[in-house]
Amino acid sequence: MPFFRITLHRSAIGLPERTRGVLAALGLRKRTQTVFHPVSPQFAGMIMKVKELVRVDEVEKALTPSEMREERRPPRGFYLEKAVPRVDYSRAAGKGKEMA
Amino acid sequence: MFGFGAFRATSPLSGGLLWKIPWRLSRFQKARQRKRLRAVDSVVATLDSALKKQGQSLRSLEVWKEEMPTEAEMLPKDKYTIFDRKEKRYRKGIHKLPKWTRVSQRLNPPGY
Repeated sequence: MPFFRITLHRSAIGLPERTRGVLAALGLRKRTQTVFHPVSPQFAGMIMKVKELVRVDEVEKALTPSEMREERRPPRGFYLEKAVPRVDYSRAAGKGKEMA
Repeated sequence: MFGFGAFRATSPLSGGLLWKIPWRLSRFQKARQRKRLRAVDSVVATLDSALKKQGQSLRSLEVWKEEMPTEAEMLPKDKYTIFDRKEKRYRKGIHKLPKWTRVSQRLNPPGY
């Protein structure tokens, strides 16, 4: 079943009570919060009311909060772009002391 | 005389109600305005394609598609200015519209 993935992008501060009520009904409480709702004319109508404030995608399945957190996690580890010769820091430090 | 910096004596700071609101948008404001218009267009397109796949329709969506021009179809005049009957030549900058970055204002009276 397809879902709307709705993210609140702009705050509704200072906008009419009706607009804020629509956001509350969608379950959006603060900026960058994401909710999933099934694709249906009812939810599409609610999104139409707040189309200037949200970003919407159509997705195949609704993600759980932990899955969304996993999505944001950066890849682990690191990439070696260029190998650099190793420096022996204990010897380098000793040399510095002699010079001073 | 009054020097430079944050606390120099400019006309808006010398008391009274003098706000300096430019009469037109800068090109960066205009670029962001176009971006916001396109963002709304993309939301509408997403809703339309998602409902079409289900074989559903929505009246407000159909009305919007019927009446509202997309960002590409709009005239620059309508993107950055708005009709006002009190204004000289009947136009003022769209940034005079309250909450102008969060409301849709695409149509103006025909002929103006």
